[in-house]
Amino acid sequence: MQRDPEGIETAYLHEFGALAGARVLEIGCGAGRLTWRYAAAARRVTGIEPDIERVRLASRECPAGLRPIVTFALARSEALPFPRGTFDRAIFAWSL
Amino acid sequence: MVHALKEIRRALIPGGLLIDLRPVASHWPVEVMAGAETFAAGQVQDLPAQIADDAASEAALAQAESAGWFIRESAGAFDLAYYWDTPDEMKTYVDEDWRDYIGLPDDVLAQARRMMAAHGAAARARVRLRMFVSRWRRGT
Repeated sequence: MQRDPEGIETAYLHEFGALAGARVLEIGCGAGRLTWRYAAAARRVTGIEPDIERVRLASRECPAGLRPIVTFALARSEALPFPRGTFDRAIFAWSL
Repeated sequence: MVHALKEIRRALIPGGLLIDLRPVASHWPVEVMAGAETFAAGQVQDLPAQIADDAASEAALAQAESAGWFIRESAGAFDLAYYWDTPDEMKTYVDEDWRDYIGLPDDVLAQARRMMAAHGAAARARVRLRMFVSRWRRGT
C-alpha cells in the first residue's frame, strides 16, 4: 500500500500550519505516520497519543535525524500535561 | 471534543494556530490506474460512524468558535490517494483499518478486479479520500 506518494497532505499541512520554526503539538499522532513528514521543519514537535503501544512504536521508529526535536507522550487531548502557552501550533490530524 | 479544544487553547500561545486535518465522508471514488489512464470502478459506502464523526467535529468547532476560543481563518479541501497493487490488498486494508467508517461494496470490488485483470500486473487500485483542512487562530 502507498499512501499519498504525491505528498499533497504534507503540502497542505505546511501551507495551513506555517510550521517552520514552530513548537508543534500533534494530537493523536498514532505511530508517527504524519509526524515524520513535517517535523524537520519545526523547532520542536510533541506528539500525544492515548494508545501506549502506538507511543512506543512511534518512539522506536522515530528517524535518527528527528530525535533531537521530536518527543512522544501518552496523553489525551482532554487533559494535556503541558503548561499554558507551551505551543505555537496544534495539529488535530485525523483525530478531532 | 469541546473539552479537548478548550485544553488546546490553554496549551497554545496567544495568537497560536490550530490546524484541523481530517477525512470527511464523501463517497470516495475507487479507481484503477493503468499507465496514464484512470478507470472508475465505483465509490465506497459512507458508514454512519463516519458521518456522525464529521457532524460531531463540526459541532465542536462551532461551539469553540462561538465561545471565542478560536477564530476560523481559512479552510480548504483536497484529495488524498491510497494505492494498492491488488484488489485483495485494498479489500483487506479497508476491512481492517477503515471498517467503522466506510464499506467497499461487492460490486465495486468486483469491477476493480475485472479492470485490474484486464490491464495487467502494472495496474493499481486507488481510493481518493476527501480531506478537509482548516486553520483556527487562538482567541484572546
